[in-house]
Amino acid sequence: MATVRGCNLPDDLYYNVENNVWARKEADGTITVGMTSYACSLAGEIVSYTPKKVGKEIEQNKSVCTVESGKWVGPVKAPVTGEVLATNPDVAAKPGAINADPYGSGWLVKMKPSSWDGDSGALVTGGGVASAFEAKMNADGFGGC
Amino acid sequence: MAVAWRLLDTGLRRAADNIALNRTLLESRAAGESPNTLRFLRFTPCALLGYHQSAAQELDLEYCRDHGIEVQRRITGGGAIYFDPGQLGWELYFGRRDLGVADMESVSRRLCELAAGALRRLGLDARFRPRNDIEVGGRKISGTGGVSEGEALLFQGTLLLDCDVEKMLRVLRISAQKLSDKAVASARERIVTVRELIGQLPPLSEVQQALAEAFAQGLDIALAPDELSATEQARFVAALEEIAQPGWIDLVAKPPADRSLRHATQKFPGGLISVSVDFDAVVGRIKQVWFSGDFFVTPRRAVLDLEAALRNVALEHLEDTVAQFFAAREVDCLQLDPASFARIVRQALAPAALAAS
Repeated sequence: MATVRGCNLPDDLYYNVENNVWARKEADGTITVGMTSYACSLAGEIVSYTPKKVGKEIEQNKSVCTVESGKWVGPVKAPVTGEVLATNPDVAAKPGAINADPYGSGWLVKMKPSSWDGDSGALVTGGGVASAFEAKMNADGFGGC
Repeated sequence: MAVAWRLLDTGLRRAADNIALNRTLLESRAAGESPNTLRFLRFTPCALLGYHQSAAQELDLEYCRDHGIEVQRRITGGGAIYFDPGQLGWELYFGRRDLGVADMESVSRRLCELAAGALRRLGLDARFRPRNDIEVGGRKISGTGGVSEGEALLFQGTLLLDCDVEKMLRVLRISAQKLSDKAVASARERIVTVRELIGQLPPLSEVQQALAEAFAQGLDIALAPDELSATEQARFVAALEEIAQPGWIDLVAKPPADRSLRHATQKFPGGLISVSVDFDAVVGRIKQVWFSGDFFVTPRRAVLDLEAALRNVALEHLEDTVAQFFAAREVDCLQLDPASFARIVRQALAPAALAAS
């Protein structure tokens, strides 16, 4: 578990740091995708969630879901290319769950990656997570979660 | 030295063009093809949905159709608005790191404060009101919203130079539902126009110049007028193909029944309070409230500020929000307990009231 400027960033997840998203590789080969606690802190309380439809193919770094907070709309970018397998009904009913539990019940979509091995090379995991986010927060001028 | 930004004036256009230009300029800025830009825009009569809103929930579509009012969906957040040539739109396109503040709330605050400063140059006592309004004497004169794409941000606002309140109420379904003999007066209490405040419509060029100067000074930028580039023109044609068609407008479709307007009236020690609550039952969130009745609150604008503070609040935070609101400012309610404002909203949303509504 890494904590950077008060933001929780579990180091067993795979991150696209620029896009502020995480992926968890599940035992069955699918992945779960969500926003980082840092992204939630930048956004503020999320009030709307519109995921892409189940069955849709999404390319890496294209929008897999859109969220809204304080009248700001923002896309959440797919960390890898793949098909949307599931969206989160609990988050649809209560979008604030994304802020409350970004790595747990606040997940955004589940995907079936087309090529995890090929695409995941662009993601950061393990020991590199803390330094990558520290650099991003520094460049963003972010005070802390 | 001041950083160079483009000043773009796209004039009076239909909504589909204006929204397609939003997408064009944002994506082009995100791709590194466009400079930072301040854009002025105006609309032929239209109803604009927020990105996550449903037309059937927000608008009287039959009225729009019968009166030639174009329906469109913004790419930015927030609520539905009626737009006609009496309002001026202003927009900023820039990089996420250009303002030196990281979180979205701070970006909104910074830019709204600058826009309010521009209105003060015109002689109006305009202030930023969290989270996204600019008000004069508690009455809203400008609403704002934003969208991000990669490293690029678009923040936009409307300025009410003039406003056809009756038409606005007809277009917006939730306001139309509460249409009573008092609705127009009630809306007029809550919004204000430049025309009303200074007694005439100032030349558009004067208002645009005030905004441009305020942003230039506040952001330390140098604005140079320019046109759309050739690559932006090409992106615009592609964006219009997506946006000027029903699939875009119907992107979010929710049943009108999931949104309803609930009412309650009660006599409390210290006064009679009535409330109408626009409530989204699916996500358990107050969209908007309107208080009226016979009670004494000084300053009177505190009631309008409380309404603004309750916008988009999750129901479980109702009591806290009301308590924090009154703790943060000097408001004289005489014998009325400020918590009554939370109680009356709860009452409007109680199961018995729901069954009746």
